[in-house]
Amino acid sequence: MREKPVCFAWFVLHFLLITTFSCRETLWVVAQGQTIFPSFFNSFSQKAGTVMDAALGQHLAASNPTRQALTTYLHIAGIEKGYGYFAPNVPASYKVVFELHYPDGSVEYQLPHVHSAAAGLRLACLLDEIARTRHDTLREYLVKMLASSIWRDHPDVTAIRAVFGSISLPNINEFEHGKRESYEFLYAYDFSRSDKATELETP
Amino acid sequence: METWRERISHFLFPAESDTWLAVLRLGLGLQVILYALSLQNDWTYLLTGTGNGLIGRNLGEAMLSLESHFVPRLGWLVTLGASFGLREETVLSIAWIFLLGAGCGLVIGLLCRSAAILAWFLHLCAAESGGFVSYGVDNFMTIGLFYLMLSPLPDRYSLDWQLRELGLKNPQLLGFWRRVLQLHLCVIYFFSGFTKCLGSGWWDGSNLWRALISPPSNVIAPELLVRWKYLFPVAGVFICILETGYPFLIWGRRTRKIWLICICGMHIAIGLTMGMYLFALVMIVLNAAAFGPSFVFHQSEPNRIRRAEPAMID
Repeated sequence: MREKPVCFAWFVLHFLLITTFSCRETLWVVAQGQTIFPSFFNSFSQKAGTVMDAALGQHLAASNPTRQALTTYLHIAGIEKGYGYFAPNVPASYKVVFELHYPDGSVEYQLPHVHSAAAGLRLACLLDEIARTRHDTLREYLVKMLASSIWRDHPDVTAIRAVFGSISLPNINEFEHGKRESYEFLYAYDFSRSDKATELETP
Repeated sequence: METWRERISHFLFPAESDTWLAVLRLGLGLQVILYALSLQNDWTYLLTGTGNGLIGRNLGEAMLSLESHFVPRLGWLVTLGASFGLREETVLSIAWIFLLGAGCGLVIGLLCRSAAILAWFLHLCAAESGGFVSYGVDNFMTIGLFYLMLSPLPDRYSLDWQLRELGLKNPQLLGFWRRVLQLHLCVIYFFSGFTKCLGSGWWDGSNLWRALISPPSNVIAPELLVRWKYLFPVAGVFICILETGYPFLIWGRRTRKIWLICICGMHIAIGLTMGMYLFALVMIVLNAAAFGPSFVFHQSEPNRIRRAEPAMID
């Protein structure tokens, strides 16, 4: 078979990338201190993760052709992420509630909405992203975009307050004793009509 | 005695029939159809860039450009469409129709290679442009469609093969691509299982409870779930063992059948109890294609091929 050497070379590179990315994510999880490993593993994992980042060209400039080529390949092959789903522990869920203020002083509450259950799962992922981001500006922008989608459906609203919170879930014992899910406040953003006109329209 | 080069060659290039490829093509075709239909009413809303959607795709694409300018995205298609005077909504609708058409093409096996490339490209564009609203199912669809597009299509069960009377593909090349899929699944399950083992919540069942009651995956009422509370720790440990043990026990003749049934059972349970039907389907399809045909179909041809040139592990 003529293609064997090419296939073999591709195979080695492909699986090197897959395993390196998977190891890097596992090390990241350990470095965060979210695992059953003793804490002295955390700094070791952080250092090992940095070495892997370097090996994967993540320390090169974003415009570097090698890094660009590698990143492109990772994305088109679908191997740019690790596989730690629901691991090491199930992450928190989040919720955003919009408080709509009308000119007559009345207040209405709205949730972001989509048309199908499949899109509902994607909306939940978006809320996870909003909660996970370490950049306040990005978080505010994403919440503002969500508020903008609500504003389109309610054009007469003068101001919107977006309240972003995590859903606190009871464990089994707590549930048996009557405790139910509750919301923990994380962030609140106020958007006025002038915000909408000037900032919401432009990324 | 075989040299190490021969051993690697036999392992990576075992002679295989194209039954596994037919399973992958049919399964991913169905997956693409269901994916497109499930987002039919939200497609434009999630992926528009004009400010009429949920958050728009402009930010996702801008962040993607920081990583690489060459990853496919819907913005390319919208720009191309604009040069022909097409509005963004029209381009997005055309993309959706073509994605659905590519899924149908894969299911019936018509223009298999083109359909696989089109499905991979359009799905990738949607997944990358809508990066903020993407999740695991998109990742696995990209992986599956990437391998499908590179595999030696068409298979003999496809309409292409029937219409064009094509010859059989190189069995070693078929074996190589199946091996790639098999090994990738092993890496996926090992790291998924290993990372779960590191969390205390999988050993006492609390993670399973949390997964089942967290919105929007809370399909079953907690009042019903709590009656089964003694099963959670067992099920949590079972999932850890099942996933971590996958790369070691899926290869053996005796354990393959039971491991495959258990893994597929786990994904069916995820689909039914958490409402993640698309995620469940794509994982079942990938597993069935990678490890299924050898014991599901019991057809004579692969066995004949294997006898002629035995795979290393079988």
